[in-house]
Amino acid sequence: MRPFFILLLACFYLAAARPREMQPWQLSGFAQGTSWHITYYAPDSVASHASIDSILDKLDSSLSIYKPYSLVSQFNRCTDSLQIDEHLANVVNASFLASQNTGGIFDITIQPVTQAWGFGPIKVTDMPDSLTISNLMHCVDVRYLSLKGSVLFKQKPCVSIDVNGIAQGYSVDVLADFFEWKHIENYMIELGGEIRLKGLKYPGAQPMRIGIEAPAESEFEPAMMQKVIRPANGAITTSGSYRKYFQSKGQKISHIIDGRTGYPAKNELISVTVFASRAIMADAYDNALMAMGLEKAMQFLKQHPDMAAYFIYRKKDGAIADTASTFFDKFIFVE
Amino acid sequence: MSRRKFLRQAGALTSGLILHQQLMAAFSSSLQQTINIGFIGCGDRSRGILSIMQELPAEFKVTAVCDILDFRLADMLKAVNDPNVKGYKDHRKMLEDKSLQAVIIATPLNMHYPIAADALAAGKHVFLEKTMTYNIPEASKLVQLAKQHPSQVLQVGHQYRYVPLYFRVKEMIEKGYLGKITHIDCRWDRNWNWRRTVPEGYTDKQINWRMYKAYSGGLVAELLSHQIDFINWAFNTHPDEVLGTGGIDFYKDGRETFDNVQVVLRYNKENMIGNFGATCGNSREGYIFKLKGTKGTVALLVNEGVFYPEPATRKELQVVDGVSGATKIEWNKDGGIPILKEKGKDGTWYALKDFHACVTEKKKPTSNVITGATTAVCVHLANAAAYTNTIQQWKPSYNFSS
Repeated sequence: MRPFFILLLACFYLAAARPREMQPWQLSGFAQGTSWHITYYAPDSVASHASIDSILDKLDSSLSIYKPYSLVSQFNRCTDSLQIDEHLANVVNASFLASQNTGGIFDITIQPVTQAWGFGPIKVTDMPDSLTISNLMHCVDVRYLSLKGSVLFKQKPCVSIDVNGIAQGYSVDVLADFFEWKHIENYMIELGGEIRLKGLKYPGAQPMRIGIEAPAESEFEPAMMQKVIRPANGAITTSGSYRKYFQSKGQKISHIIDGRTGYPAKNELISVTVFASRAIMADAYDNALMAMGLEKAMQFLKQHPDMAAYFIYRKKDGAIADTASTFFDKFIFVE
Repeated sequence: MSRRKFLRQAGALTSGLILHQQLMAAFSSSLQQTINIGFIGCGDRSRGILSIMQELPAEFKVTAVCDILDFRLADMLKAVNDPNVKGYKDHRKMLEDKSLQAVIIATPLNMHYPIAADALAAGKHVFLEKTMTYNIPEASKLVQLAKQHPSQVLQVGHQYRYVPLYFRVKEMIEKGYLGKITHIDCRWDRNWNWRRTVPEGYTDKQINWRMYKAYSGGLVAELLSHQIDFINWAFNTHPDEVLGTGGIDFYKDGRETFDNVQVVLRYNKENMIGNFGATCGNSREGYIFKLKGTKGTVALLVNEGVFYPEPATRKELQVVDGVSGATKIEWNKDGGIPILKEKGKDGTWYALKDFHACVTEKKKPTSNVITGATTAVCVHLANAAAYTNTIQQWKPSYNFSS
């Protein structure tokens, strides 16, 4: 009897001392006009739905052009300057860098032009003419902005900003920072198709798989996957012209507006998926790569080895094809 | 943009706003010509059409109104608010007016055919409210009459053919987004007696003509005909067999038309069943219009619609841990995808634009005498099935052609 009792005690002791097993915790919801999904792996739950909502609400009230009370909206209404918060300051600083690196293709001051093309918060009924665009382009240049301390200045009252091209990526980074702060080492955070991931999935300690969506003609078609990848720790974002566009006079008007010209990008690219260490970076460059076209985008990536990209494009004969930069090729997963 | 070209391009429509623009482009005339128009029948429907017509002053000028009931005529003249507009009690007198180019006919159903025939004979273009005719022989006769007046437009008020939402759903069906549709469920319920107050000096039959078989086809003709017509249009079809039942089950108030009715339409070519029902004894669900396919369901309200993909179409999403794509669609919290991001205008607005374009450019309306006759036959077969407890069959003579 006694040896058995000791054995039993030993079992209890071992069970208590062994680290508890990792298990998946999933959260999902709606924010910024789209949905979000988070999976993290931990022995216990560390984050509530409410805590995620509150982070996203805070970001919205800083960055959303659709919220009249947001800092972005307030800045667009002001004639001179506005005291901004850390989130908007981070986004503005990242935008300055992206504008510089892309020669102005990425430019958050493109807002008046984006609005004129019908991709802003105000509904439009007619497509803009060339005179309208050239007039509006007088208000477009990132050099009209300056950030001194926490005050954002504009050189001309007509300057207004749209950080939609970068806000989702930044939001994903803020959520990732939140989980890092909670000492979570394994997570997948997705907001509107922009992803940050780290570590492995459990049980089984397997690498995570990320699907890259195939372009569909309509949102009512089931989302098919073009490729499944196994990326390194970092961020994956996708920009595509296949979902958000207008049709005017038989032409598709892409929502990707080239900051240098004020006109929608017209080239063979259908979507670009970018890998970078942080989502704000990936998100800032995915639209710019879309606007560059395949050849220039590939050249750009050669000069920026910290990024990788996967392209879906239309060949001259109309067929759909895909290609990837060398760095990205390593993620492509073959069963 | 030509209508055909528009229909070709419609595949790329993405939002309600753009859909509105494209529908407007498709249904608008390039000719700046104002049509002198008169109303025959001045009840609630005409008042509704009038208020929409008042948004289209370049297209229409109301010059005459007609009703056999004094109070309706007086109310309509007041609503038109133009001293130059003439009021008539006899539509034949009104039709003698040579300056009048077109008429809206919105009378009790039994008067649709005789008045439309008079209007065509008088050389007027006709916008005839649904259901097109009271019975099948009148539908055939009106088809023949319209052929004898090829330069005149006859448009039927089945306005779902002009509602942006329904236009979009038709396109979704054609593109196969719903997969194979086998089943359609429609209801149009209310929890009240479906009666209007009878003013002093008037009879119940004059006001509540919808309660009487001599004047109306009841709930099927007045309400369900819209959805029945939509199915005919969206699938370019008609039912082959019609089953029906019904009764005066709650409002035993002297009415003759059923207050509770259910009809089942069998579409052989499409391998499809359509359930169309209405009751006056429950309002929980009100309006229902669901199209059920192997890939998804479309659930429609009058001006809103949601697409629910079937679970199988989502299965693929489960093999990965995340999906990266261009900013995603906004899914409703119940897993549905809104069909239109923005509401367009009322279907009547586009229908009137089309009527104007057809008159000025001598075109055939989307809702015309042939489609109107086809749906009128469906309504009459449905009522015949419900009133006589028989199964009604489609006959070759109901296949109208222009």
